[in-house]
Amino acid sequence: MTGSLLATASGLCVVTAAAALFVPDRIRALVAGLGTAAAGGFGVAAGVAAALGGRWSVWLPELLPLAGVRLSLDALGGVFVAVTGGVAVCTALYAIGYAREHGRVVHGVLPLFVASLLLVPAAASVSTLLVAWELMALTSLLLVLAEHAHRPEVGKAGVWYAVMTHLGFAAVLAGLALFAAHAGGESFDQLRAAQLPPAARNVVFLATLIGFASKAGIVPLHVWLPRAHPEAPSHVSALMSAAMVNMGVYGIVRVGLDLLGGGAPWWWLVTLAAGALSALYGILQAAVSSDMKRLLGYSTTENMGLVLLGVGAAGFFAVSATPVLAALALTAALLHVVNHAGFKTLLFLAAGSVLRATGVRDLDALGGLRTRMPSTTVLFAVGALCASALPPGNAFVSEWLLLQSLIHALPASGVAGAVTMPLAVGVIALSAGLAVATFVKAFGVGFLARPRGGQAERATESPATMVSGMAVAALCCAVLALAPTVVLPALTAAVSAVLAGPPAVSGQVRLQLNGVIGTISPLLIAIALGAAVALLLGALRLVANQRARRRARLWDCGAGPMTPRMEYTATSFAEPLQRVFDDVLAPESDVDVTPVKESAYLVERVRFQSRIPDRIEHRLYRPVLAATAALGRSARKLANGSVHHYLAYGFAALTGALIILAVLR
Amino acid sequence: MASLWRKIKKTGRVAEPAPGRPESAGPADKVGELAGSVQIRHVDAGSCNGCEVEIASAFGPVYDAERYGARLVASPRHADALVVTGPVTRNMEMALRRTYEAVPEPRLVVAVGDCARNCGVFAGAYGVAGAVSDVVPVDAEVPGCPPRPEVIVAALRGLTGR
Repeated sequence: MTGSLLATASGLCVVTAAAALFVPDRIRALVAGLGTAAAGGFGVAAGVAAALGGRWSVWLPELLPLAGVRLSLDALGGVFVAVTGGVAVCTALYAIGYAREHGRVVHGVLPLFVASLLLVPAAASVSTLLVAWELMALTSLLLVLAEHAHRPEVGKAGVWYAVMTHLGFAAVLAGLALFAAHAGGESFDQLRAAQLPPAARNVVFLATLIGFASKAGIVPLHVWLPRAHPEAPSHVSALMSAAMVNMGVYGIVRVGLDLLGGGAPWWWLVTLAAGALSALYGILQAAVSSDMKRLLGYSTTENMGLVLLGVGAAGFFAVSATPVLAALALTAALLHVVNHAGFKTLLFLAAGSVLRATGVRDLDALGGLRTRMPSTTVLFAVGALCASALPPGNAFVSEWLLLQSLIHALPASGVAGAVTMPLAVGVIALSAGLAVATFVKAFGVGFLARPRGGQAERATESPATMVSGMAVAALCCAVLALAPTVVLPALTAAVSAVLAGPPAVSGQVRLQLNGVIGTISPLLIAIALGAAVALLLGALRLVANQRARRRARLWDCGAGPMTPRMEYTATSFAEPLQRVFDDVLAPESDVDVTPVKESAYLVERVRFQSRIPDRIEHRLYRPVLAATAALGRSARKLANGSVHHYLAYGFAALTGALIILAVLR
Repeated sequence: MASLWRKIKKTGRVAEPAPGRPESAGPADKVGELAGSVQIRHVDAGSCNGCEVEIASAFGPVYDAERYGARLVASPRHADALVVTGPVTRNMEMALRRTYEAVPEPRLVVAVGDCARNCGVFAGAYGVAGAVSDVVPVDAEVPGCPPRPEVIVAALRGLTGR
């Protein structure tokens, strides 16, 4: 059952890709969109079937030379396949209306990207995983570059993405190759059974952690993410941000917890620290960003940081013999993966809808979309509420579960846990607070008030296919927010696939934590909130109706009409935050005063420029890039065009190799 | 901080003793509804700033109008009364009308200084639209060029009734 569903999904992807290349332009978007959406639907079914007990594995020795293809879908992989399928359904429906202008390559590659995303969690051997991983990297790179002919920044973003993703691939390759060499086989079953020396285990874990973390956009390997996401077409951004980054988390859980079976506590403290750092740094950058898609990209770094924090906590609890908390933390992390996929799909698609209507991503030039794009506004509002970790949003539920696991750690774990866990609680609380500010800014400045530019003024609502894609994502978010228990059986099965122990969370309407004291009912919270708001509005109406009312002009200091220039912008909204976190963000501002020719005291023009560079990129990557460039320039002297020199190099290299061989043998 | 405390201790109270309660200057129904607390927005409709200096003095530590329940606020939306100074210039005519419109009911207007009452020395000037009473209804007037702070305080006490 699971196998045939997954095979149907992958087959549909390949057929759709082929069809997209050959059908006429007029119906290409429709064919590609419907085919990919159907494949996504089968992906969801396959993932759910695997998570609910339909474990499936297959070995296809003829498909790849030497090793063959080994696929297996258990509950853990099933959760990720189902998430990917869901995201694919929304984005493919959306792409029917959104990607009409894109060429046949984009339409043909998108289903292949979905297929690779479905196959990564189903891979059951090192070579299969690496092939699927590389297919995912290449197809996503082609999709990122889709609009390279129109904007030069796309090419630059593509180079960053290509380099970072392949460095990550090299790290994963090195780690898994070492693992397979020690294990004497490359299928996951052999890796699981292998007995590795501790040093090799450490190297394998660190190498794969680096590789997978770079895919998940974890600080300091996140630099590609805020570049590639804004420049890619929005439905591709949604797929990358909601489905592809999850694969990094999947890799860490699969290799660290499942194949290596736990390991040393410091592994997981490193993971936890990287997650905490990403959560804080990501949301801080998002809070001060005024580019809508860049903001969402940094928010992805934040959410993946939170997930990784949960995974790190789960690993730490698992190796420090508190399985109840480990299961709870991993459930919370996986639930956050699902939640993040829901709301980030919705937000990126809505941002794409705004981008299609206005052509701008800059929040400072938007505004006033509430009356011009009502559906997009409502859907973005739903996404923003879900992303800001407040009830009744869905991120609230997963972050609450994560906090529960960390809070209850205090008496159970040792000194390291007693120091780390309270700090982690603080990190989650701070990032949740900043997330609220970020999404209030994104929604309030981007959609409400009056348009700040001509392009926002001329915006019109997106076509029905795009709205329907977003609506499906919003519906999923609403279900996850009000009834998270519907995904609970799948998550519990996924957790028990890697961690021994009883299910951490149970319940129908209320989420009941097992082993520690704690219950929450998102549905009742939502109903109570709704009732409170209704009561408040009713009381206000009652009071207001008792007094005489007078219609008056908006107070504008007695001057002429208000102009959009008087509105708060995203930059001014974030200014207090920027001031508070001045030392961390290190904003650069530049004032350029030009005096008139006749007198130095009369100013002709003042130019003010302010930007907040990514400090990690500035400090960490610039020196490396500069050194590499210098090395390249100096190496150019070797290649001076003389054939005699080149022959001499060849001869010298051969002689050198022979001498080394002679000495070593 | 310590030096500030010392200064406060040394200076003591500089406010002049409160004179007896004056006759009510404003319309009795509005004054009654405001019940002794009047938030005031000051509008400079074209003043030479002489009256502003005196108003600042009336709310300074010596005359301390706030002890009678009058208080300056930053927006007409927060205000019960407008204190208008200067002849109403053409540039400020519409702004004064809108400021008056922005004050919630019941609202009071005090014209402070001779210019506000009857344009003073600026009467008939080309840039002047008229006295304050030509633009908005005036409830109380304070004569003088500029009026002394005591007179301003007395007029405000007429509004607060304290």
